[in-house]
Amino acid sequence: MAATTAPPLAYRDAPEAPVRTNKKSAWGSPTTYFIALVLVAITLAPVAYIVLGGFRTNSQITESPSGLPAPWVVSNYTEVLKSSVFWQQLGNSTLVALVTTVGVVVLGVMASYVLARYRFRGRGAMYSLFAAGLMFPITVAITPLYILIKNIGLINNLAGVILPQIAFALPTTIIILVPFLRAIPEEIEEAAWLDGCGRLGFFFRMVLRLSLPGVLTTGILAFVASWNSYILPLFILNDQGKYTLPLGVQAFSSQYSQDTAKVLAFTSLSMIPALVFFSLFERRIVGGLQGAVKG
Amino acid sequence: MATVTYDHATRVYPGTERPAVDQLNLHIEDGEFLVLVGPSGCGKSTSLRMLAGLEDVNQGRIFIGDRDVTDVQPKDRDIAMVFQNYALYPHMTVADNMGFALKIAGTPKAEIRQRVEEAAKILDLTEYLDRKPKALSGGQRQRVAMGRAIVRQPQVFLMDEPLSNLDAKLRVQTRTQIASLQRRLGVTTVYVTHDQTEALTMGDRIAVLKDGLLQQVGTPREMYDTPQNVFVAGFIGSPAMNIGTFPVSGGNIEVGPARLALPRDVAGKLTSEDDNKVTLGFRPESLDVTSESNAAAFPVEVNIVEELGSDAFVYGTLRGSLAQKDDAVITSGAGDNQVIVRVDPRNVPMKGERVFVTIRPGEEHVFSAATGQRLS
Repeated sequence: MAATTAPPLAYRDAPEAPVRTNKKSAWGSPTTYFIALVLVAITLAPVAYIVLGGFRTNSQITESPSGLPAPWVVSNYTEVLKSSVFWQQLGNSTLVALVTTVGVVVLGVMASYVLARYRFRGRGAMYSLFAAGLMFPITVAITPLYILIKNIGLINNLAGVILPQIAFALPTTIIILVPFLRAIPEEIEEAAWLDGCGRLGFFFRMVLRLSLPGVLTTGILAFVASWNSYILPLFILNDQGKYTLPLGVQAFSSQYSQDTAKVLAFTSLSMIPALVFFSLFERRIVGGLQGAVKG
Repeated sequence: MATVTYDHATRVYPGTERPAVDQLNLHIEDGEFLVLVGPSGCGKSTSLRMLAGLEDVNQGRIFIGDRDVTDVQPKDRDIAMVFQNYALYPHMTVADNMGFALKIAGTPKAEIRQRVEEAAKILDLTEYLDRKPKALSGGQRQRVAMGRAIVRQPQVFLMDEPLSNLDAKLRVQTRTQIASLQRRLGVTTVYVTHDQTEALTMGDRIAVLKDGLLQQVGTPREMYDTPQNVFVAGFIGSPAMNIGTFPVSGGNIEVGPARLALPRDVAGKLTSEDDNKVTLGFRPESLDVTSESNAAAFPVEVNIVEELGSDAFVYGTLRGSLAQKDDAVITSGAGDNQVIVRVDPRNVPMKGERVFVTIRPGEEHVFSAATGQRLS
């Protein structure tokens, strides 16, 4: 065929069209990586130091404070793991964190649902009241809180830690959840009404499911905050058997102040659960903060 | 199956003076497809939501069948509603969405499944039953919303602009599907739209509302042929009717050089408030293009010609004695001093050309100049 053999003159003579070459590789710019790595290093260095320090002996630490374990010693960790105090305190911490989380989530969702979807007088004021709780650090309130808890008779009792923790975690929870619940379209609620749901039915069948990402976020935040909380347990709990892990670390490090390696091992073991928890649910937390129901 | 009756139903939103729906009286027959239509803010959605129980009724009553449902909870009214944005439950599959009402009502699982599958078959959704709404296209979501209503086998379907989120082509397609589905199921349906084409094509009867007041109820043909007032005349029909106010003298309406005979009975209805004038409406297709020599013809200068294939419409400016600078005599969908004329699509005038048109006798609509009510 003539058409196929004819040289494509027109194409050859035409000025070459600018070809957009993708110079950026899939890896992105090295500067980004550099900055990111520096930041990651800064964040991780103390954690790495503590974890690695637990694998060394005290003499190793004294000789070269920033060296790597040589040889690796696991006895620090095994000793901590064998001690009943550690397990007792881990149990206390877990119990406090779990009950706090459940309390915060249950009360927070209920309060947020009312604030977000019921119309009543003083709703704005109530929301502001909860939000004001954010500006009220527990440290400031600790003395009256202590007296109050003493009057209730919850001193040296885990419930004395749990109750105030729930109260202090509510502002964050409500501030995160209210916009979340408000974003559930009105029509879905109306459709549910027509389908035979009451207010409560809607709450249990729709709201809980649709706000799950937000609920998870607030739950995780409450859990981690409770796990790491120090000042409240310090005031409320007197007995070593009742201590939560942060107190335990404190007590342990004053008890074994000479044995740095063991303190490091204890510390790293006590922060590992929160760390694992946080990294497992990190994506959920971000998803929850982005909020809103789509579709 | 049931009738629906609005008896002086009124809704006043808290904090407003004027009722959103004012003394609505409307009776919808069993199995009828009634379309509520009107410009935005006319109270059509409010009327529907009053029937659904989503809006309080401040005065009057609403009946479904013989049952007074004015104070009945939405869920106990035995109705199903299709929302504008579909309001599908995002966390449930299509099947769960459609069967949700039955599940709440405690219907056995096997029966739910069977009814959902039947509905899915009708709506061509069978292969999507296990998907979440997120994974569906707009048209499919719309059908799921329809399916959710069908599965319940309610007494009345309520539809609140269910097509407005679809693209133009799908809207036309779905329009006929909904209408034929309704005929097949025979369920009384109240349908809200702002689109008069949708109203004309779908409804057994149409109710036009404006500012919360019912203007007219009737079949599409009645609405088109005998609009009861100027508002309905201008609202129903596309392109819109040309409407103008003209003097009456000696039993004739003087439309520029043209004389249209005003029937004696109509002339008798004129009051002093009309000041010897009538409002005259004529549809684009009631105009004939003639020559300049015709004494009754008035000139129109062509601005644009819209060719639709089967039809062509001239949008033109009035010229000659009818054209006035300040006080527009004629208004149409195109604006003041503009008329729309349907012309032969095989023989369209050029832009800027001057054509002479006459109103075909007997196809004019005469309204009172003072009240806007129909006289003829």
